[in-house]
Amino acid sequence: MKRFLDWWANPWGQPRTLAVVTWLYMLWAIVPVCIAVLFSFNDGRSRSVWQGFSTRWYWGDPDQSVLHDPALRGALEQTLKLAGLAMLIAVPLGVGLAIGLTRWRGFGARPVNFLMLFPLVTPEIVMAVSLLLVFVSLYKIQLGTTAQALGQVTFSISYVVLVVRGRLLSVGRQYEEAARDLGASTLGALRLVLLPLLAPAIFASLMVVFALSVDDFVVTDYLSSNSSTQTVPIKIYSSVRGTTTPALNALATVMVVATLVAVTFAALVYRRFNKLQQGGGGAVSELAALEA
Amino acid sequence: MRQRLLWPSFALPGAIWLVLLFLVPTYAVLAVAFGSVDPIFSNPVPVWDPLHWQFDTMRDVLRQLRPGEPFWTVFVRTFVYVTLALAGCLAIGYPVAYYLSRHARRTKKLLLVLLIVPFWVSYLMRMLAWVGLLLPDGLVNRALVDLGVLSHPYGWLDGQASSVIFALVYGYVPYLILPLYATLDRIERSVLEAGRDLGASPLHTFLHVTLPLSKHGIMAASVLVALPMFGDYYTNDVISGSPRTTMIGNQINLFFQGGPQRTVGASLVVVLSVLLAALMSYYLWVTVRASRDLV
Amino acid sequence: MSVGVIDLVSLRKEFSDVVAVDGIDLHVDGGEFFSLLGPSGCGKTTTLRLIAGFERPDSGKIMLDGVDMAATPPHKRKVNTVFQSYALFPHLDVFDNVAFGLRRRKEKRAEIRQRVLQVLEAVRLSGLEHRRPVQLSGGQQQRVALARALVLNPAVLLLDEPLGALDAKLRKALQLELKGIQEQFGITFVYVTHDQEEALTMSDRIAVMSEGHVEQVATPSEMYEEPETAFVADFLGVSNLMTVEVEPDGSVCRIKLGDFTLRALGGAVGARGDARAVIRPERVRVEPYESTGENRVPGMIERVVYLGSSEQLVIRLASGEVVNASVANDGSERNYVQGTAVQAHLPADALRVLPPPRL
Repeated sequence: MKRFLDWWANPWGQPRTLAVVTWLYMLWAIVPVCIAVLFSFNDGRSRSVWQGFSTRWYWGDPDQSVLHDPALRGALEQTLKLAGLAMLIAVPLGVGLAIGLTRWRGFGARPVNFLMLFPLVTPEIVMAVSLLLVFVSLYKIQLGTTAQALGQVTFSISYVVLVVRGRLLSVGRQYEEAARDLGASTLGALRLVLLPLLAPAIFASLMVVFALSVDDFVVTDYLSSNSSTQTVPIKIYSSVRGTTTPALNALATVMVVATLVAVTFAALVYRRFNKLQQGGGGAVSELAALEA
Repeated sequence: MRQRLLWPSFALPGAIWLVLLFLVPTYAVLAVAFGSVDPIFSNPVPVWDPLHWQFDTMRDVLRQLRPGEPFWTVFVRTFVYVTLALAGCLAIGYPVAYYLSRHARRTKKLLLVLLIVPFWVSYLMRMLAWVGLLLPDGLVNRALVDLGVLSHPYGWLDGQASSVIFALVYGYVPYLILPLYATLDRIERSVLEAGRDLGASPLHTFLHVTLPLSKHGIMAASVLVALPMFGDYYTNDVISGSPRTTMIGNQINLFFQGGPQRTVGASLVVVLSVLLAALMSYYLWVTVRASRDLV
Repeated sequence: MSVGVIDLVSLRKEFSDVVAVDGIDLHVDGGEFFSLLGPSGCGKTTTLRLIAGFERPDSGKIMLDGVDMAATPPHKRKVNTVFQSYALFPHLDVFDNVAFGLRRRKEKRAEIRQRVLQVLEAVRLSGLEHRRPVQLSGGQQQRVALARALVLNPAVLLLDEPLGALDAKLRKALQLELKGIQEQFGITFVYVTHDQEEALTMSDRIAVMSEGHVEQVATPSEMYEEPETAFVADFLGVSNLMTVEVEPDGSVCRIKLGDFTLRALGGAVGARGDARAVIRPERVRVEPYESTGENRVPGMIERVVYLGSSEQLVIRLASGEVVNASVANDGSERNYVQGTAVQAHLPADALRVLPPPRL
């Protein structure tokens, strides 16, 4: 007992209370998700009472499993399709914007810089409503995949700019100047030196856009047309309170696993980039810095 | 001359995109909120020219915002929920961020990974997890009944304000911890050691050095979390679904997804945006200031 | 030998709120090791960047071998730079870093290979071709940066504090090596530094800069022995600067230091009225109080600082001025202690008169 009290009160040790709070938080944040994943393997129809292990909700059930229910499978496909489109469009636009805004010091740079920050602080419902209204009443764009992709790109661009600009500022202008000094033209310096140096940030922003896209609910929901353009989050939202089967958990689990695999892969690649260029530096803390 | 146009041309596509799909849509909300309503189909007719704007709907909305009127209740409820949820997020998030930035050593990497995991799990998946736990025959009720705290299962999902606030805390706290961690991590250890060296106790050092230095970080992170909470309707729908807990977001959503009164919905969006403008400007101010320090 | 001659004519560059380079004129000979020396913010780096082409001058000319280059972009100038932080491309290995410029010129593969290996040998980096910059030591990185610029056979090599990031010992070794390479390649070096010792050791000529203009251009020994302005005297080594009054007396220049009248042979001997006089600490002779003769001022030793190879004596003169004297530690027995009354001998040939500072 005395040893325990000494350990607890050691002024040079870690503050025990904080450590306990932190670990409890971690458990609280992650265990519920793990339980939800567990119930996706439930043999029965309940999402709260364990009835044995089975993979029926993934592929076993001929009608209601993720693999065989067209609504669930469609949601998965639509989610990935939108994520692909968003990455493909938002990343080049954002990279261009980041490079342009850091290098361009003239009239117009300031307002665009300011405008770029707004999507980050606008509540999603405000953005969703405004996009819905403008598509319906001004641009006459059919709701559905196109509208959803346009919406997702709009809120993703700013994140790409933040990630890429952070890297640009830390890289500085010296490498470009060195390239110019050694005979490369402005565009040559950009292609041969700046883009390779930005590669980790571009890669990271692809991941960020992927995560934003597959997680997005509000904008995607407002701009969806009918059940054929429902994504996984929409599907969860619309059926979670009804009488539903663990197939919903299975659907969500597939998404979680897909995201985690992509992110782990990304972290490994990112670390490799960094090793080559800066001699290490934790990929994890880098990614943490990115999110913040 | 070609040189001078090079960099703007990189920014141009993105800038045009933001103008067409952010700026113009924002204006469209105004055009609808101050527009008219088709008398036959009762769908909104946007008015693009501010000189012809009509203020009937807005007047009506503002009238309903007076104390005792329906929108008043919803707005007050939203502010109470968001304030409580934010307080909960800070109560949990600050100690965790503080521990991570100051004290975690060998476990720091692991903790950081665990901290980021919720970011990569879809928000609605995390809500789905809690719905499963809070169902009448869910683990929470069974555990409480087994322990003798409750005599029979409690209807956590039947329009309980406490459940909604709890879910908001659970949903948003990761978004608070990470920026808090970044702020606290930036404070030099030597500054804190100087505090101790000059005779301050750990508590005093925290109160007089750490807290003032992280003040703007805490505020900015809080704003970053509060803004989306004000527009949140899905957490509420998933965890409660009852009119007893309706927030502004639900009200707006109702006008857009449920009924034909989009003009009223757009007016509410305008009111909400005006109310949040102060918070948004504060965040923008901190961000612009920080980026100026960087350059 | 007229390759690599630089002429700066009334060169001026202003940034939003400060004048970085305030109309300077400079001439650098071909094959010369020329240093721009000054404190940070004096405009030396901006001058270098103007020559390199990273900045566009507001007015004035930059002539290279008689041709104005002010409108030529950096990649078309026969001038290369060694950057302060080296700016080695982190995504390329040593070979590709050095080959970068040759590839931009579309040289043949075999030619590139041969020249890269040759220059790497010259800077003693053979065998490290496939290392990444992060795998090299500071000194090695510095030499890669040098090789990368030298391989292009520039007419002029610009070096922006290339040794600033290295520790003192390595810096000493590399100073000599740099000088050797410059002599071997025979090209013009324009070298920016704030380290006066570095400039004195390596340069053929030095330009001391302050607040955007050139204070003095001279060889290292002239610069040290015959500073023309108080700024130069103060910036290069320790100097004793004294406020004096000049009274020309026929062909000799007499200066009044308090109640004492001294004879000065150097500097602006034609000046009159208020001026400043300077003398280097190692030229101040410390003599017993009893000694007599011209240019002797009585004083008292206030402090003795032991420096190893010498002793520094801080002497308060009877006129009120404080003078530093440096006495070589040559084994002769001198017991200077605090409080000793002495005669400070300020020899006429070591005493220089400087015009009053520019307003």
